[in-house]
Amino acid sequence: MPELGRAALVVCFGLALYAVGAGFAGAHLRRRRLALSAQNALVAAFVAAAVAAVVLLAALVRSDFSFTYVSSFTSRDLPLTYKITALWGGQEGSLLLWLLVLTGYGAAAVLLDRKAGRELVAWVVPVLGIVAAFFSLLVVFVASPFKTHLAPDDGLGLNSSLQSPYMQAHPPMLYLGYVGLTVPFAFAMGALLSGRTDERWIVATRRWTLAAWMFLGIGQLLGAKWAYEEVGWGGYYAWDPVENAALMPWLASTAFLHSVMVQEKKGMLKVWNMLLVVLAFSLSLFGTFLTRSGVLNSIHSFTEGSIGPWFLGFICFVVAASLVLIFRRLPLLRSRTKLESLASREATFLYNNLLLVALCLTILWGVTFPILSEAVRGESVTVGRPYYDFFLRAFGLPLLLLMGIGPLVAWRRASLRSLARTFLWPFVVAVAAGAGLIAAGAGSSVPGLIAYTFAAFVAATIVLEFARGTAARRALSRESIPVAFGQLVARNRRRYGGYVVHAAIVLLAIGIAGSSAYDTSRSARLAPGQSLKVRDYTLVYRGLRSSRAENATETRATIDVFRSGDRIATMHPGKNSYPVEQQVSNEVAIRSDWLTGEDLFLITEQVNRNGTIDFKAIVNPLVNLIWLAGIVFLLGSLVALWPDAREERRLAVRYGRLPQEA
Amino acid sequence: MLTAALVLGALLAVAAVVFVARPLVRGGADEALETPDEAEQRRLALAEERDRALAALKELEFDHRTGKVSDEDYRALVTDLRHAAADALRALDRGTGGTMSTDASNPGSTIEPLPPGAPEPPIVPEPEPVPHEPPGPVIVPEPEPAPHEPPGPVIVPEPEPAPHEPPGPVIVPEPDPQPPPRE
Repeated sequence: MPELGRAALVVCFGLALYAVGAGFAGAHLRRRRLALSAQNALVAAFVAAAVAAVVLLAALVRSDFSFTYVSSFTSRDLPLTYKITALWGGQEGSLLLWLLVLTGYGAAAVLLDRKAGRELVAWVVPVLGIVAAFFSLLVVFVASPFKTHLAPDDGLGLNSSLQSPYMQAHPPMLYLGYVGLTVPFAFAMGALLSGRTDERWIVATRRWTLAAWMFLGIGQLLGAKWAYEEVGWGGYYAWDPVENAALMPWLASTAFLHSVMVQEKKGMLKVWNMLLVVLAFSLSLFGTFLTRSGVLNSIHSFTEGSIGPWFLGFICFVVAASLVLIFRRLPLLRSRTKLESLASREATFLYNNLLLVALCLTILWGVTFPILSEAVRGESVTVGRPYYDFFLRAFGLPLLLLMGIGPLVAWRRASLRSLARTFLWPFVVAVAAGAGLIAAGAGSSVPGLIAYTFAAFVAATIVLEFARGTAARRALSRESIPVAFGQLVARNRRRYGGYVVHAAIVLLAIGIAGSSAYDTSRSARLAPGQSLKVRDYTLVYRGLRSSRAENATETRATIDVFRSGDRIATMHPGKNSYPVEQQVSNEVAIRSDWLTGEDLFLITEQVNRNGTIDFKAIVNPLVNLIWLAGIVFLLGSLVALWPDAREERRLAVRYGRLPQEA
Repeated sequence: MLTAALVLGALLAVAAVVFVARPLVRGGADEALETPDEAEQRRLALAEERDRALAALKELEFDHRTGKVSDEDYRALVTDLRHAAADALRALDRGTGGTMSTDASNPGSTIEPLPPGAPEPPIVPEPEPVPHEPPGPVIVPEPEPAPHEPPGPVIVPEPEPAPHEPPGPVIVPEPDPQPPPRE
């Protein structure tokens, strides 16, 4: 039923346009009913987008190859789960998912945040409507997922690298993150348009921003895990523009999440926060543009492609309109307070912001430079790993250190004496860790050693913060340690959830430093019976076997793994051959040691006709801490996200939704 | 199939139009969008200021208890913060026609003038609310003040309220407050 899908998208487009027109008119003329009608249009647009998505999903599941999209990204043999995930396997489906998530977020935000004030929400609706109208325009007129053709016998299949469980979760997570950043953007613009630049927009969007940021973070880690297990080169992050596309808005929103606390506590950085919201949203659009326009393949495919110019135009419009609006509202955004000291919590947040934005813009330059170079000079250049690694160390290591320093410094100002006392134990732990690591032979990589030392400093800070907080609470309440600890976290969820997230970043830093600075790699051509030594592992190649899977032929090498003379495992790295897709994928074998966090990573790079294999083995120390960091990150984010009834009540009293009790 | 798709599409469009038009066609007058007047906007700004000031006091107290802020720093900072909190509370009381101020960390609690002749307890911002404590005013006795310590800042009723000012409580900060003992 492609007609129904098309009709639903046309209805969605019309509703989004109506939400823009009626929304602006209702807010400007202060007509309550018109504003409500625009709000309803946004909700109805979500329903229409959901109908379109259901139509496409049904066609994918039924293998209705009369849909061009279905025949382009699925085949009859493709397992059902991958037929479903093919919804975001191609450009048109991805844009439809964007639209669906966007209208869903928009409807939920305006319905749930009505308490933010009708006047503010009235201005938020048309801003959300503009973004929804843009994406529905794309799927109606430019890249429709409902194009039809004479149905072929079978489809072209799904790219083999996308046939992974991680790919089932990674793109939706990223979309929930990218699109989620529309909500704080829309509320920020709504605040500027309405002239209500008080904290209400921040209060209304606090959780949306945090949720979008969490989804972006988890999405990236899932992508890294997918790259590690599926792409088969032994790493998890290659500074690929597509990966950077998700990292940039995450960095910008991380900066925003920190600087917004300074606005809440001190009433400062109002203009900066607006700029960060615009930057984060624009980068989320830019990320979608990068991955969907074809510009990464070649500047020519961008100009020849259908959606690239539209996207670029829309990004320019968003940036220009937002900056004009911020400029016009500058008098309302002036701070009445100033930074009192360079040694204060707010100052450390400022340093953290400068480093995060610097890292973000450096990555942006690395991504755009090859595109600009090709457009201007006609030369294709590559910005490689050394560029990104340099700036990651230059900005990332100080950021890591600041994560430990910030919580130890008081708001407003801190004297040297206070600083000396609070820094003492983390400093001692860091120095001891550094000295211990040098003694253990970790001095071979200076950046790795610095990262570990800083990580020890941050870890000590976090432990100290929890311990001192619990002790202070116990001194007042005489509670038991677990109760005092629980109450401490429950009553300061954002702060202590944030510390848990910091712990996740520490694990991430240790995992990245361990696996990139201290890894060992060996390659060899092996005949059956021959062996290869890597670190304390001896790998013996026994032979090859092949089998037929649902939609692929699987070839696997058998490798016996010995350590200290004992056989500890048999591993099967190999390759899959997909006849329909005419692709071959690397199927690596990984043995994780959960006690040490180390991975033995085996790759069969090539299977030769004479039965030999070109074989590569990598030992990645501590790499599993990266995945553990994902779990801790999720936990910390959920703690910070969890609703706090006391806080809600306090805000309700502040904003007059609850009467002040006599 | 085509007909069914077109009918479903048309139904979707009609349902959307009905849903969108519903607020417009409902009976009764079209009231204006609620927009806060200047007084309300001022009240809101003052309420944010008050919450910020009280939260800063609370944070300072907690940082002092956890050893992050030394006694000297505490003394240096608390006076300014109490001034700021007092100013915000006073401004809010004036701005809202004498409505009692609400403690940011304890909604519903109020700061009320002490009865004449009542002892003047010292004030500290609520540090970390204790769960079994009933919600109450922010006036909590300083834990075991040393006998030689001068009395801390007190809440006193404004002595001579100007005729145009509604009577309201103010926090008068002590010029040189002593920090509460750190645990």
